[in-house]
Amino acid sequence: MKKLVFIFVSVMLLSSWMVVPADQSEEANAKIKAIYIYNFTKYIEWPETYKEGNFVVGVLGTSIPLVNELNKMATSKTVGTQKFEIKSVVSPSECAKCHIVYILSDNSAQLPDVLGKVKGKSALIVTDKSGLATKGSAINFFVDGNKQKIELNKSNIEKYKLKVASTLVEMSVQVK
Amino acid sequence: MLKLRRTLIFGILLLMGFVSNAQQSKVTAAYTFLQQGKLDSAKANIDAAVVHPETIGDGQAWYIRGFVYKTIYNQTEKANKESKIRIEALISFKKSLSIDTAQENVQENIKNIKYLATTLYNDAAASLDTIDYKIAVKNFDIFREYYLLVDPSKENFKRKEIDFANAIATVYTRIYEGDRKGKVDFLNLAKAAYNRALAFDPNNINANYNMGILYYNQAVNLINQSDYDLDIVALNDVQDNSINLFKASLPFMEKAYSLDPNRKETLLGLSGIYFSLNEKEKSNEFKQKLEQIGK
Repeated sequence: MKKLVFIFVSVMLLSSWMVVPADQSEEANAKIKAIYIYNFTKYIEWPETYKEGNFVVGVLGTSIPLVNELNKMATSKTVGTQKFEIKSVVSPSECAKCHIVYILSDNSAQLPDVLGKVKGKSALIVTDKSGLATKGSAINFFVDGNKQKIELNKSNIEKYKLKVASTLVEMSVQVK
Repeated sequence: MLKLRRTLIFGILLLMGFVSNAQQSKVTAAYTFLQQGKLDSAKANIDAAVVHPETIGDGQAWYIRGFVYKTIYNQTEKANKESKIRIEALISFKKSLSIDTAQENVQENIKNIKYLATTLYNDAAASLDTIDYKIAVKNFDIFREYYLLVDPSKENFKRKEIDFANAIATVYTRIYEGDRKGKVDFLNLAKAAYNRALAFDPNNINANYNMGILYYNQAVNLINQSDYDLDIVALNDVQDNSINLFKASLPFMEKAYSLDPNRKETLLGLSGIYFSLNEKEKSNEFKQKLEQIGK
């Protein structure tokens, strides 16, 4: 009788390891942030003079996943009739033209400079480092129980002639 | 009256002897036809013999039937991964083995069962794709049944169970990845298959890593599939569910890491899981290890 051997080759090939794309987790985190940011545009009202032209979101610092995600959002969403414009901001001086300024955690030290540049304007300052909502930021991302949450400083929002809906206030951790 | 009864009994006995001889000669005829290569005739004769009460319990008849069917399989059905002829051959050898009180064909029966079971295993392996996976599962189940019959050493079989479970899990994962919304069942099948591999060997690095990745990807997909319109309350639910999945992924990935601390894929996986759990320090720790290995 002809001897038959077990063929393992195809089995072993199929058992090969699945590989995680390197930035998959960063993309997922950026998606959460983008959903939050889109929510901010629904629950916060800018003055009439800011309702013309593009709705500018400036990102201070380097985060390719976040900028990519915001650009993706910009292709399908608007703020009323305004189209989103996502800008990578290098210097705080560029922040004066933004509706939303998102300061990445690595650039948190630039918050005072940004605050100086947006004085008298209507910009929503969003930060990503514990404690910054008490230091001038309007909305700050923080982590609680592995979850991304937001703390909101109402007076830091209203200071810039922005109106915040009570719904957003209730869904946030309030900071004074 | 008595004479009539005696004649009747004699007649019945004569007929029984004739039938008995006729059945035995059918077995002989089947064997002769087999040797002559006349497989249809061999099959017809042996099929008739094994259903007759006189030879249904004859181990030799069943052995010959197995041999006839095996020869038909080898000559005409080898390309057919779902060959019923092969199954009939296996049934026949098994039957012969169970009733062969004279122990005439024990070794031959075992050898033939092993041979045919091996063809089933190989066909199962060759069917491990997104189209023929059901054939793979069916063939492996039959292979298991018959192989364990002739080689009951569970230890020898363990490796094959693990390899197959890992491989079929990979196939299920591919099907799921092709249509995440429509084929969720396959995600569960993949997890069940990896669990099966891990039940045989909790230290199987492949099953641990891939199970970790399954949960990890499920969590990431949950977030990435969310619409930008999601309100914050719903986003919190998405985050809760994804965190549970990231946490479910962690022990498998940690186990894979403990089994091979220098495997790049595991370090990348752990860095990703901790990043997603917003434990940035731990994430960076694994990222740094990964960079050190890369140097």
